[in-house]
Amino acid sequence: MKKFSLVTVRKRNAMLLLLFTAIFTIITLKLFYLDVIMGDRLFAWALDQRRGAIPILADRGDILDRNLTPLAVSMSTDAVYAIPAEVEDVAKAAADLAPLLDLDYDWLVERLSRKQRMVWLKLRVDPDTAKKVRELKLDGIDITVRPQRFYPHDQLAAHVIGFAGIENQGLEGLEKQYEQYLKGIDGMLLQERDATGRVIPGAKEQRIAPLDGHDLVLTIDHVIQYIAERELARAVVETQSEAGMILLVQPQTGEILASAVYPTFNPNDYQAVPAEYRRNRIFTDIYEPGSTFKVVTGAAALETGVVTLDETFVDPVHLNKWGGWVNCWRSQGHGVQTFVEATENSCNPVFAILAADRLGPKNFYKYITGFGFGEKTGIDFPGERSGLVPKPGEIKHGELLQWANIGFGQGVAVTALQMAMMVSAIANKGKLMKPRLVKEIRDRNGRVVESFQPEMVRQVISEATAMDFAKVMRSVVVNGSGARGEVPGYRVAGKTGTAQIPAATGGYSDDRVASFIGFAPVDDPQIAGIVVLYKIGVRPAYGGTWAAPVFSAVVGDALEYLGVERLFEEKIPVTPGQVFVPNVVNLPKEEALEMLRKARLEASVTGSGQFVEQQFPKPGAEVPPGTKVHLAFFSDEGDAEMVVVPDVRGTSLRDAAVELGRVGLVIVVEGSGMAKEQVPPPGTLVPKGERVYVKFALPQ
Amino acid sequence: MPVDRRILRSLDGHLVLSVCLLVIFGLIAIYSATHNMPGAAGETTSYVKRQAVWTVLGTLLVGVLITFDYRYFGRFSRVLYLGSLLSLVLVAVMGYTSMGAQRWLDLGPIPRWQPSEFVKIALIITLAKHLDQKEKLDSFSDLISPLVHMGLPILLILIQPDLGSCMIYTIICLGMLYMAGATPKHILLLSGGIIGAGALATFLSSMGWLPIIKEYQLKRLMVFINPYAYKHGAGWNVIQSIIAIGSGRFFGKGLFSGTQTQLSFLPSRHTDFIFSVVGEEMGFLGAVSLLGIYFWFLYRCLKTMMEVDNRFGRLLVSGVFFLFLAHLLINVGMCLGLMPITGKTLPFLSYGGSSTLANYAALGILFNVNMRRKKIHF
Repeated sequence: MKKFSLVTVRKRNAMLLLLFTAIFTIITLKLFYLDVIMGDRLFAWALDQRRGAIPILADRGDILDRNLTPLAVSMSTDAVYAIPAEVEDVAKAAADLAPLLDLDYDWLVERLSRKQRMVWLKLRVDPDTAKKVRELKLDGIDITVRPQRFYPHDQLAAHVIGFAGIENQGLEGLEKQYEQYLKGIDGMLLQERDATGRVIPGAKEQRIAPLDGHDLVLTIDHVIQYIAERELARAVVETQSEAGMILLVQPQTGEILASAVYPTFNPNDYQAVPAEYRRNRIFTDIYEPGSTFKVVTGAAALETGVVTLDETFVDPVHLNKWGGWVNCWRSQGHGVQTFVEATENSCNPVFAILAADRLGPKNFYKYITGFGFGEKTGIDFPGERSGLVPKPGEIKHGELLQWANIGFGQGVAVTALQMAMMVSAIANKGKLMKPRLVKEIRDRNGRVVESFQPEMVRQVISEATAMDFAKVMRSVVVNGSGARGEVPGYRVAGKTGTAQIPAATGGYSDDRVASFIGFAPVDDPQIAGIVVLYKIGVRPAYGGTWAAPVFSAVVGDALEYLGVERLFEEKIPVTPGQVFVPNVVNLPKEEALEMLRKARLEASVTGSGQFVEQQFPKPGAEVPPGTKVHLAFFSDEGDAEMVVVPDVRGTSLRDAAVELGRVGLVIVVEGSGMAKEQVPPPGTLVPKGERVYVKFALPQ
Repeated sequence: MPVDRRILRSLDGHLVLSVCLLVIFGLIAIYSATHNMPGAAGETTSYVKRQAVWTVLGTLLVGVLITFDYRYFGRFSRVLYLGSLLSLVLVAVMGYTSMGAQRWLDLGPIPRWQPSEFVKIALIITLAKHLDQKEKLDSFSDLISPLVHMGLPILLILIQPDLGSCMIYTIICLGMLYMAGATPKHILLLSGGIIGAGALATFLSSMGWLPIIKEYQLKRLMVFINPYAYKHGAGWNVIQSIIAIGSGRFFGKGLFSGTQTQLSFLPSRHTDFIFSVVGEEMGFLGAVSLLGIYFWFLYRCLKTMMEVDNRFGRLLVSGVFFLFLAHLLINVGMCLGLMPITGKTLPFLSYGGSSTLANYAALGILFNVNMRRKKIHF
């Protein structure tokens, strides 16, 4: 031991002292952290875990319509649970329960062996099974009552309400949005237990009562909702559309009265349909609005004074002005027309000029965003989209062409909700309201906990402009493309729209969106709203032809239900004995001829379509009885192809519509159930595009 | 052979007193942890009784071990070493398997025992002898023979597998090498190499390429990294231990009043997690006091090491020092969530036959050297 001196020993000894002092310091610090800093929390944790709580589940709050009709309620169902520690023979219990509960044996064994205070084995057990489980008298297996969601009206307002999952948690829609209010606070039965889960003898038992969830009172009226869903289903089937939406709003408050989406689903069995059926497209999907957007262009132009109601325009038909073409949808054009008539005719070049030249991108943009486009409305619903509005100056070349296109609704993307709120603002004297689905929140005793007052977003246009433009929209229905939107006595104001759907590859596809926005009655609006038929399957796919009558049917029934008085504007001809020419634009041929006959007028027909495209004299003109009214039809491609009417009797609504659509015919539905009669009868040779009336009845 | 009174009198009182306090601490904690636990004989006191019996046996063992001058130990070095290897081979061949590892030997009338606990002691003696005979340890080639000496038993334990014991053995051997004069550079290189090999083995096993490390061991590692992800499974022990210690707060819940302990939330509470029992029932104050006693004891070990006048004695004491330090670090670290679960006991506190007797054997060596640290002139 020469080289390894005692000095080195001393040094190394000191190193060891240092080393183990360091180890002790770390351990002491960790002890300090656990005991002093985390102590209270860990103490509470220790307390928690030995109080093996059996939850007493809170009742989920109900969802009621504005008249307190229940749309979603809590029902008590039996649920089987286990306290693993008290299960004496896991294998036997699992073997007994597996067939009874229709569960996997291994799954049960795993659950029953868990180191957990309690485990759920099966929820929503029918009373019979529950009784049998009780009769087994297995140790550690018990049954408790568990509230379960139930939707008494099945699919009614399904897209608004959404649904709650098996654990009673809100998964979609308002169920999700208002989860905090609806779910309540679970109570519990506290029993002191040891780690193996056995109740400690003599320990106290404590019952903490649950706090039930609050009820939601919606702005939805279930009757109007029902009307909207009924008409929408009929329309989507008839027009073989991919989907349809109807949104109805109370213009003065922004309260949503009905929000219907088709295809729909039953929230009691929400897993039966693919997720895309459950999406509320009204709030979550964006589309190019097309001509309905002219309301924004027109209102902005009137408000800024760049146009007057009676200013005349000559339809340029094909306009090459901003480095690209803007074409009138009617190949012959609309000739000389006032601003009002241009709106009635939905003449694209006029609105392109108003947007690009008269308003200019900046001004136009101000009104587009003013009406709420490009941003979320803030509706109390999850997953709302904001849409897409370009900003002025965003692109260098062809910007004016872009804004010219936006003038007639191409190149912007909106939600149906935004469109409905925009048209509500026109109806509501220029005031844009924030949409709402929930009116108030009440506790279990009916006391109002929170109530939501109407909220104005902004005055977009002046009251005067709004009222002027309402008249223009009224004129669209009386004299223009919106004729089929009229409800006798309810004086509908509206605007039609037929939009193309942008193709994934760029440009536009052949798919069309037919829509109608409007409100009624024009001088005292009670309802405003929108009807959208997405990827409509029939041609011509015009909004005035397909969406307007849906709006008419829904709003007519809804106003009737609301007790709104019908007021007929009885006009008296200036020259006695003369008659007024009715508006038959967009009407089917037979209906148009029938209306003219009733008005004691003759008809002369050109073109060979099914729907009236133009008429002369104009609607409202005073003429002697017997005057010939010229009707131009949509299709003038010569004689239409003839097809044989198939036999759809005995089939369902959907099958009948598909079968007729396959050969190019259009179904008109009467009644519901299975097809009983059809006109024309099977085997008849008819031109393509002809309408087939099918009467449905419920089987005996 | 009676021990000379004068030699006995020079035994460090601090060492004796600190160990006595640890033993008392241990018996109380074991009693508290097990008094309502059904024992093998159905008797609630059986655990603490048996531990008391082992304590008495251990004390006798100490008495026997201190009668010989420790310098005679070196003479049995060869026998001890070969016997150790033989017992470890026997474990590998015919050992009793429990909890996935073959660690126990069941030899007829002798109660089942864990050779690795005793081989530890034998290794301290034989390695001390081996290193004592080394002229120098400056170059790496000087280290080859001691590395082989310690490597053989470690490898045999590794295949049981008993990672916890491997860690303890490695710490003891490296510590003794350090105190024998190996350069710090070599020690660091060796430590790094061992950690690196461990990491590589873990990696290869977790990827499923080479199943060196068993699945339950990998799981323990995963649990160590995030116990809360395995709350109801493998992470249960650590979480319950942390809850127990933390919920004791500063003053503890009082003896026999620890809810974690008394209601069986704490697993292996009388063996591996005895420290958590102390933490819960005696709080921060109790746990720190216990650590203080250990500190006191280990400090006196170091002091002994300084005072011993020969290399062999010093190496023996350093082996004992590292044995206790390693156990303390690994066990308390595990209870606090600072170390993965390895199931190593806390010296003088944990319940258990083999480990208790092994601890007393180590203590006997320590006392022996301590008593004879200075030449006594008659």
